[in-house]
Amino acid sequence: MEVTLLVQAADESFTILEKARVRAVDLMNTAAKLTSETRWMEEKRVRAIFRGARESRAGLQNFVVTFVILFVFWALLSGKYDAFHLSLGVICTGVVAWMGHELIFHNVRAGDMRVIAWRFLKYIPWLFHEIVMSNFHVARLVLSPRLPIDPNLMRYRTKLESDTSMVTLANSITLTPGTITIAIENGEFIVHALDRKVADDLNAGAMEDQVAHIFMEADHIYIQDVLDVARIFAALR
Amino acid sequence: MIHRGEDIIIRTISRMLIPFIQLYGLYVIMHGHYSPGGGFQGGVILGASLILLLITHGYHDARSRVPERVLTVFSGVGVFIYAGTGFLCLVLMGNFLDYAMLAKILHTDAAHARSLGILSVEIGVGMAVMAVMVSIFLDISTGGVLPGEEEEKQKTAEEA
Amino acid sequence: MQTFFLAVALGICFLVLLVLYRVVYGPGVFNRVAAISAVGTKTLIILLIVGFLYQRVDMFVDISIVYALLNFIGCVAVAKYLEMER
Repeated sequence: MEVTLLVQAADESFTILEKARVRAVDLMNTAAKLTSETRWMEEKRVRAIFRGARESRAGLQNFVVTFVILFVFWALLSGKYDAFHLSLGVICTGVVAWMGHELIFHNVRAGDMRVIAWRFLKYIPWLFHEIVMSNFHVARLVLSPRLPIDPNLMRYRTKLESDTSMVTLANSITLTPGTITIAIENGEFIVHALDRKVADDLNAGAMEDQVAHIFMEADHIYIQDVLDVARIFAALR
Repeated sequence: MIHRGEDIIIRTISRMLIPFIQLYGLYVIMHGHYSPGGGFQGGVILGASLILLLITHGYHDARSRVPERVLTVFSGVGVFIYAGTGFLCLVLMGNFLDYAMLAKILHTDAAHARSLGILSVEIGVGMAVMAVMVSIFLDISTGGVLPGEEEEKQKTAEEA
Repeated sequence: MQTFFLAVALGICFLVLLVLYRVVYGPGVFNRVAAISAVGTKTLIILLIVGFLYQRVDMFVDISIVYALLNFIGCVAVAKYLEMER
């Protein structure tokens, strides 16, 4: 009878472990699906590198997008939309875009531009909300008679990789009242913060995560974690 | 000698702004007859954009975009366009810079011909002003000797 | 409406006078550079208000954009010069 109980207990524990394994596999699949967009981009990029098509297509796409953006700017500036002025606009925009097309989009991989632009547009309302919240906080600090500020200069290590994302984060920090980016040295931000709460908000890293999400950087972590976890659960079977 | 700046923020923002500044300079040149602007002002803005590029990115990196020889050619071509339009009007039996005579080759009425003549003169002036401004800036900042030429001169002095 | 704009322009001129104190008495050159840049932004606003007063806003917007550009480039150039000096 003890043997039967023992076998029953072992059987139950095995079913529990089996259910845990199924749930872990589900979690893994969800995580993989959430980052599958990034992974698809990575695979496309790797394929394009092997095909050697990366550089030329990126150049043409950069030129066309720069041309369109500059032409919209010209049309906004010039109030006249007759054929002569528009043709002048096309020539001028063509010259400027041809000579400087890799200036605006430096090192943007072909195919990422649409995703990055869409995510950037979604980021702007969030940034606006942050600015309004910080405005209230700083106004309350400044208008109180005690002036409870605690200005300090902090160094902030960042996980972002490319120039453009670091500059976006620096500009967002400066636009948010209470913090000013002073310099960037070797991937470290030097930020002047007005008091402890604002500095702690910055250290929590919500803004940095958002900016990393826009430019699809520093999210390789998820796939690596998934792979590590998968090995542990495979050993449990 | 202009050294490359180590500040990423200024470098990135400048390189993103420069095509817009150049397009604005060209807009000011082309719409000279309608809004404030014209040849000289647009040339100054174009030159300022190239000077911004040189200041922020340093001479070695921006050298391929602002080559000395092309600048010299540009200034000459600008003056040539200006004087050329004037002489074209002379050749067509008018006075010097009498743009109405251009109506003979362009087959439009006199008012349009004057407008197009002034536009071409403004383009010439803009090109010349841009090239000369950047040339003066390069002369003053590098002390008259470009870094590449200095090494060449040293090599030829050693060989001789 | 004209008098309201005129009053606003005079108010901003008064603010420019306040900043000019830093330009003249600022100990050191960095204070002066920052104050000149601030004067530049106020000048921009005054130009636009003058445009409203003369009812030709489109013309003055062009001039304001040019002045903003030159203010920025001037600031960067002076900062670069000061960096190289030290």
